[in-house]
Amino acid sequence: MHTMTQTNARGRHHAPGHRSRLRFVGLGLTPIMLLLMVFSVVPIVGGLALSLFHYNGLDPQHPFVGLLNYKHLFYDDPLFYTCLRNTVIFVATAVPLNLVLTLPLALALNRARHMRGLLRTCFFLPITTSAVAVALVWLYIFDPSGGLLNDLLQAFNLPTGQWIDDPALALPCLIVMSVWLDMGYNTVIFLAGLQGIPDVYYEAARIDGAGRWAILRHITLPLLQRTTSFVIVLTVISYFQVFVPMQVMTNGGPLDSTRTLVLYMYDNAFSYQRLSYGEAMAVVLLVVILVVTLIQLRVLRAKWEY
Amino acid sequence: MGVLSNTRTNMVIRPPARRRISLLTALLYVGLSIGAVLMISPFLFMVLASFKTGQEIVQVPPTLWPVHPTLDNYRQVLGGIPFGTFYRNSIIVSTTVTLSVLLTSSLAGYIFAKFRFMGCNLLFVVVITTLMIPFQVILIPVYMVVNAVGLLNTLWALILPAMVSPFGIYLMRQYIENLPNDYIDAARIDGTSEWGIYLRVVLPHTRPALSALAIFTFVGSWNDYLWPLIAINDQNKMTIPLALSYFNSAHATRYDLTLTAATLVVVPAVLVFLALQRQFVQGIALTGLKG
Repeated sequence: MHTMTQTNARGRHHAPGHRSRLRFVGLGLTPIMLLLMVFSVVPIVGGLALSLFHYNGLDPQHPFVGLLNYKHLFYDDPLFYTCLRNTVIFVATAVPLNLVLTLPLALALNRARHMRGLLRTCFFLPITTSAVAVALVWLYIFDPSGGLLNDLLQAFNLPTGQWIDDPALALPCLIVMSVWLDMGYNTVIFLAGLQGIPDVYYEAARIDGAGRWAILRHITLPLLQRTTSFVIVLTVISYFQVFVPMQVMTNGGPLDSTRTLVLYMYDNAFSYQRLSYGEAMAVVLLVVILVVTLIQLRVLRAKWEY
Repeated sequence: MGVLSNTRTNMVIRPPARRRISLLTALLYVGLSIGAVLMISPFLFMVLASFKTGQEIVQVPPTLWPVHPTLDNYRQVLGGIPFGTFYRNSIIVSTTVTLSVLLTSSLAGYIFAKFRFMGCNLLFVVVITTLMIPFQVILIPVYMVVNAVGLLNTLWALILPAMVSPFGIYLMRQYIENLPNDYIDAARIDGTSEWGIYLRVVLPHTRPALSALAIFTFVGSWNDYLWPLIAINDQNKMTIPLALSYFNSAHATRYDLTLTAATLVVVPAVLVFLALQRQFVQGIALTGLKG
């Protein structure tokens, strides 16, 4: 921070009062940047460094081990691949499902003139509530013994399922719950995007005699592409970090079928005290997210220019 | 479906030229209504279950309305755990974090938007870089930092790391950049101090962005789970989501109790949401931020 106040003092503007301006900048920005350094910059750099050490909370020694944590991760830990696979399945299923539901929902809500407020409230309600509380409700729905879903199926003489106790169904159950939980966000963003499209385009299309579907295909969807790209990129990033449903509802089970990268990282670092091993996993997650995001930006940008 | 007939009567009132599409509109409302019911029903079941006995909740066929409505669950939950303490902790943490983020974001955003000084670009790049790193990735090092300064298991552990929001700085910088410089220059000529300009000229013009940021920061902080899970062990320091999760681990499969606790958490949040829905929705639209 010392260096920063020095650089501030050498500002190039020499308009009257520039001293008081520089004092304002220095006084205002220093504590903020200091907090940002301690709780963001140092952890980013420190995290990269930490992953190169053997740092176990139970061992007194923390020797430098180079890339050994990464080697363990990729060569000796099959569970890591299970978590990676579960996470990728979650992202690859939940993101399209989310989009397939939220885009038409936003289009429909945008058209609906009656009960507008009531309908929107219903769809937006889950997004403000605590994911933990929501997870408990869905735990009750999906519980194979005494849960609501099986009780309902039984009442109608339909076959029941093991849901979150079934290794094949547990992850799909959590996907359903997650999509239900945050559909509202993307719907709101899509709605804002729809309302941002100037009416002149619609009017021009109508004068040209374009039908409903033609307008949707050739005007609404292309002009919404910026919003769509934004939604896709953000949703992918946030779904890669999924944690709460797994931790609260299944704790990774049954048979690790719902163990995701962040859950495994959390367990390594805070249940087994393997802090550096967990951090190596975090770095891999960061790289995965960065690469996927860059690919998406590239692909989605190519579409805009078209 | 009563909704369908409703829609039809409404359609008649509207201009006859549009009657062609009434079937599509009807389908639209039917679809939306079914969807709305699906969205609401888990909440409804939760609230109704909180008034049922443990036996009634798991019985086949399930009941919708409580057959023998009881407040016993509430008595047990409120008598068993200090809900007031959890609410107090959450209010302290979320309020402090929100006020701090509003201050630091608007101040840093203003400085990055309207001041040129050596290193300003570099510092802004630092802000943008930290903005792009997900918190999950720096969770372990932040834990070690907080541990090193001896703040684990205190409310400060939840407050300090969240006091500066790179996203907030970025948002406010974008917003303040569009404010005309004339306001600021005029105030300077009038002899207003730099802090006076920030407080009395810049801040009042950023109200829409600030209120969006406030709602998001508050909701995000209120619902945060992963970081409190790591930073807090002591039950008296727990925030609401963490306490709820612990309560669930202690009373697994006692849905009468866990759903009652969940109701006590969700219902106040829903009431606040209903009151602030418009601002909340505008906030998401403005920022695209997830809570």
